Amino acid sequence: MRESIIMKIHYGTALGAVALVTIHILFRMTQNFSESLQYQNVIANYHLLPYALMLEVVLILLSVHGFNGLRVILLELKQGIVYEKLINYGSIGAMAALIAYGSRTILMAGMGMS
Amino acid sequence: MTERMSNREGLKGMANPTRYGLERVAYWLQRLSGLGLLAYLIGHIYETSSIVNGKVAWDKMLELTQTTQGHLILTLVIGMCVYHTANGIRVMLGQGGIGVGKPGQPEYPYKAASLNYKQRLCIWVSIALAALAMMYGMAVLFGD
Repeated sequence: MRESIIMKIHYGTALGAVALVTIHILFRMTQNFSESLQYQNVIANYHLLPYALMLEVVLILLSVHGFNGLRVILLELKQGIVYEKLINYGSIGAMAALIAYGSRTILMAGMGMS
Repeated sequence: MTERMSNREGLKGMANPTRYGLERVAYWLQRLSGLGLLAYLIGHIYETSSIVNGKVAWDKMLELTQTTQGHLILTLVIGMCVYHTANGIRVMLGQGGIGVGKPGQPEYPYKAASLNYKQRLCIWVSIALAALAMMYGMAVLFGD
């Protein structure tokens, strides 16, 4: 994929994440902060389908943005065919692993498997 | 010196915010806050995964994170998040050609049109917004 397209994805994911993370934080502010973190409240959040879906989207956007950012930093540090391939595929792998792990939490908590 | 001139300082060069003015500091803070936020994201996903192990595991995790140190880290995360967002929007607009001035002939003293007062102002505003958000965050976190 061309770097210009990757940067557009980077900026797109950033803007999307800003909007959705704001909603995520506002959800914590609907009540007292420590109260909002109580087990029942958090589970109730996961059971709310639109909110759970939003968390999934946030997870994807932030993982893509975060690991692409790390990829850019690492590629700026050093260059080379093998190194660049390692960084590119490593970033995609780490991104996929984080999304899978986070999705597992959203799915299990949302379906009451805790 | 030779290493510096050949631009092969590697991590040491990237970690140095000096020598190139405020824009370099902004770049350095953007990188640093990005790395910090990625570390927090991974930690946050790990932290919240404890909810699938039931109430006891969740409460145990809260005991670990809802402390003074935990709140201080969260305050730092708020600051990094706000700075990274505000400065990131500046960078995005700049890459789109907004606020970087018009290209012209290089004339002494060779001041780049892109490094103008608007850009500098935006950097300071980003830092100020981050500081304000940190203060508000502290009031919320420690006000409980």
